[in-house]
Amino acid sequence: MNTKWVGKRVKRIDGPEKVTGELKYMTDYHFDNMVWGKVLRSEYPHAKINSIDIEAAKNLPGVICVLTHKDIPGFNGFGIVVPDQPVLCSDVVRCTGDAVALVAAETLEIAEQALSLIKVDYEPLEVVADAEYALRDSAPKLHPDGNLHSHVKINNGNIEKAFEEADIIVENTFYSPRQMHAFIETEGGWGVMDDEGFLTIRCPGQYAYRDRMQIARSLAYNPERIRVISSPIGGAFGGKDEITVQIYLSLLALHTKGRPVKIHLSREESVIAGIKRHPFKVQMKTAAKKDGTLLANQVKAIGDTGAYASLGGAVIALAIEHSCGPYKIPNVDLEGFCVYTNNGIAGAFRGFGVNQVCMGIETHMDMIAEKLGMDPIELRKKNVYHQGEVSSVGHIVKSSVGTYKTLETAENCELWKNREKYKSEVSEPWKKRGVSVATSFHGIGMGIGLPDYGAASIELLPDGTFLVGVGCEEIGGGNSTAYAQIAAEMLNCDISNIKIVQGDTQKTLDGGTVTASRSTYTGGRAVAAAAPRMTELLIQTAAEMLNLDSSQIDLKPNHISAHGEIIPYKSIYKYLYNHHRATRVEGHFYLPKEKEEIKGSGGAPHHLYGYLTHVVMVEVDTLTGETEVLRVVSIPDAGKVINPQGLEGQTEGGAVMGIGYTLYEDVLIENGYHKTRNFTDYIIPTIRETPLIETFPVEEPEQSGPFGAKGIGEVVMIPIIAAIMSAIYDATGARIRHLPATPERVFNALKDLKKQKVQSSR
Amino acid sequence: MLVSEIDMITPSSLSECLMQLSKEGRIHRLIAGGTDAAVRMKEGKWRPEIWINIKNLNELRYIQESEDCIYIGPLTTHKDIIYSPLLQRKADVLVDAAREVGATQMQNMGTIGGNIGTASPAGDTLPALYVLGARLELTSLSTKRIIPIEEFILGPGRTVLKENEMITKILIKSQKPNEIGIFQKLGPRKAQSISIVNVAISLTLDQDLKCREGKIAFGSVAPTIIRARKCESMLSLGTINDELIRNIAKIAWKEVMPISDGRATATYRRDMASALLERGLYRLIRRWDNQ
Repeated sequence: MNTKWVGKRVKRIDGPEKVTGELKYMTDYHFDNMVWGKVLRSEYPHAKINSIDIEAAKNLPGVICVLTHKDIPGFNGFGIVVPDQPVLCSDVVRCTGDAVALVAAETLEIAEQALSLIKVDYEPLEVVADAEYALRDSAPKLHPDGNLHSHVKINNGNIEKAFEEADIIVENTFYSPRQMHAFIETEGGWGVMDDEGFLTIRCPGQYAYRDRMQIARSLAYNPERIRVISSPIGGAFGGKDEITVQIYLSLLALHTKGRPVKIHLSREESVIAGIKRHPFKVQMKTAAKKDGTLLANQVKAIGDTGAYASLGGAVIALAIEHSCGPYKIPNVDLEGFCVYTNNGIAGAFRGFGVNQVCMGIETHMDMIAEKLGMDPIELRKKNVYHQGEVSSVGHIVKSSVGTYKTLETAENCELWKNREKYKSEVSEPWKKRGVSVATSFHGIGMGIGLPDYGAASIELLPDGTFLVGVGCEEIGGGNSTAYAQIAAEMLNCDISNIKIVQGDTQKTLDGGTVTASRSTYTGGRAVAAAAPRMTELLIQTAAEMLNLDSSQIDLKPNHISAHGEIIPYKSIYKYLYNHHRATRVEGHFYLPKEKEEIKGSGGAPHHLYGYLTHVVMVEVDTLTGETEVLRVVSIPDAGKVINPQGLEGQTEGGAVMGIGYTLYEDVLIENGYHKTRNFTDYIIPTIRETPLIETFPVEEPEQSGPFGAKGIGEVVMIPIIAAIMSAIYDATGARIRHLPATPERVFNALKDLKKQKVQSSR
Repeated sequence: MLVSEIDMITPSSLSECLMQLSKEGRIHRLIAGGTDAAVRMKEGKWRPEIWINIKNLNELRYIQESEDCIYIGPLTTHKDIIYSPLLQRKADVLVDAAREVGATQMQNMGTIGGNIGTASPAGDTLPALYVLGARLELTSLSTKRIIPIEEFILGPGRTVLKENEMITKILIKSQKPNEIGIFQKLGPRKAQSISIVNVAISLTLDQDLKCREGKIAFGSVAPTIIRARKCESMLSLGTINDELIRNIAKIAWKEVMPISDGRATATYRRDMASALLERGLYRLIRRWDNQ
């Protein structure tokens, strides 16, 4: 297909103002008459509240209001799936991130002082610090229904028989860290209520309409009287999917007499109160035949969702759906538990549970390959499912599947072909290098049981340009540029004639969340659905203006031509305006879904998946245990690539985030209290930890997507985790099963290996 | 004390600064680059009534040499050290260490006087100053004394500096052509990190790679910087080759007294004392060979 914009390296439309710092994020704004809001967090990870005394705080000069649970007009709770998190705690606190009171004051300092004057009488309760302990009968119950938030199960075939018949069985337990989103812009925003009671909340989020619904529910307020502006965002990665401070802002705005109120969490508060990635314990047992055919996989995964559900149930469900990798394993017994503890709150994060299970299945693939003396890529190629085949969870995959092609590309990439040469080129004698491969996949869209639709509007503006409105926010992934490309392509105009507005309940239609790798696919399809209506409007109007039949009208780049006459779009706008006619069209799109849910799976299967293979080279310093990732090859199947430059932004950012997850990052919590406080002890990769990253897309077009595109925003960070773990093994012989693979963990594994060698040589 | 209530005065000369420091009946503190002070103020730990801002007291920012002694002003930044041809030639281990401090932003702002005064067990320039035999000039309005850096630091954040005194000069012996040094750091990542263990080494070598004298100082493995005397005495046992290096490194863990914290366990720190010494000596000999 011959295209002008789609598939081309188009620079980001929001790039210049972001890299120059010209763009103001919502938390950058200051107003002359503004007031500061602060949240009082719990002192204890688990405690009963006997009383809250706000008198002294209220009387502090400069304090405008102090609010507690008593001041919530509506429902005191929020949560995307189950609203089990109190807006302001009334009887019990379940984590140190829990909010107990709100303050608005003239200055931030006064607000902070006021917090220290609020006297909360707590009665500390036993802390549930471990997910497995939480499941015991003796553990205190954190919620009325107990500590098991959700339980999912997928069974196929006959697992016992398969293990009996297997030639080879590998079994391991894997532990994964509590990763932090670590966005540059911490949670924050603005709220203001005008004289007529219209509430405006400007707060970075990943679904303005749902945020508005949750605000309205707590305020018992007509959602039509609330406007939520949620874009642009200084990074989200899932961490702003749930309500962050929107409801606090709304409550305070009710009491600040029309003055705007701002909340902006400090990094320290964000570490404690912001959601994190679920730490998992994954027990996995995988069986294969001598020829490498996978026979069975048994998985038990326990995820620590912390004090509240948020999207925990969905995270566990997605983990289980993906726990066998993109392979066809006939016999499976997969089970996941999402468990409440007093360890902060976990929720959505790029990868959504798949990261934690991918490290298990892909490590097992390498162990099986090694035991069988098979090439790891051959083993994978032998077991992957192709389009039209049955996956491990037992459904026929009807959408496009690129795994095989990505593996072929990996096999032929320069790094893999020359791996022995590279491995011999260590920089110092005590260093060792390893090269490994891993592959994974990730569902696109919400799965079964949840509404999943996209919507977009296109408006002809007075100057003849177009305003494209999409609900899906620009969270930094580059979807705005993709929308502009699709619109420019289909409207046959220059991309500079397209303006994009996103994430504003007053200016954009409800088009669902920016999650689940869905926003380019869904929003893009919605734009693609709206565009023909706009061209039709342009052609029909031109025909009417010229008294011609619409078949005589030609849509040329940036204008219309008919019988040698040129009609600029501004003339069309003027004509429509003068005749009081609409200049705006809409496009709607429902994501294709599977018809039947796998019983007990919590929403599996998805109709669509994105696929990706990583090849990495690491160098391990055997004296210290330090691991350096030297090279990454990222081979995505994103369907048709809308913007290769945008795709590289995703694959490079994803690789670095995956490196952080594997080697550095973990929010440490001990007995409910955070040991990690800020970026001093939360280690994320810097440019010095960033290796050469190459991207070789495999384009396996997806019929249902815009121009054949699929989603890729999450899988870009997944297989690299297992690939680095295996590369450490390839380099040193030490297997790391507990992430992050810090120098100390790698060093201790090397030490154990030496001890084993000494013992076995005796 | 609220941050908004804290005053700041900016003396325009050293004597004015010393005058301010001599004022009694108030709580004041010096602030130079602010890379520690601002953080601690934010954390609520340092809330003096008055900040005495010496950032632009340029008379304390210099690097000079006279008769085999190098004089460094306390307001010399880490970047000044890194870019000093004199220090590159005659105090290589200090340049190495300054390079490992935080990242560019902190190297631009942070000063060597501040790094010494903060007296963190993990301070990166400290082991380098220990092996260079650094002495400090401490001045008050009416007194002046010079003491070795070992005697200056008492423990984490604790020094012998009196309320009315400040560091006014750092004195180190210039390295001779047959002296060579190296600084090694293990942090949780390459840049922007606080040391888990660090080590500074300075050797005086003969042509045949025999060590006449050597100094080794570890950081982050005890309340203060630790000189590894046993390892040092082994340096002169013979030609420095891979075997001797391994043997010296093997006993390094005995010299240190680390604690466990969020960054690492004590056991790992002990092991890393040996590892960094081995890596450091190996790299130092390589560097010597290449010169």
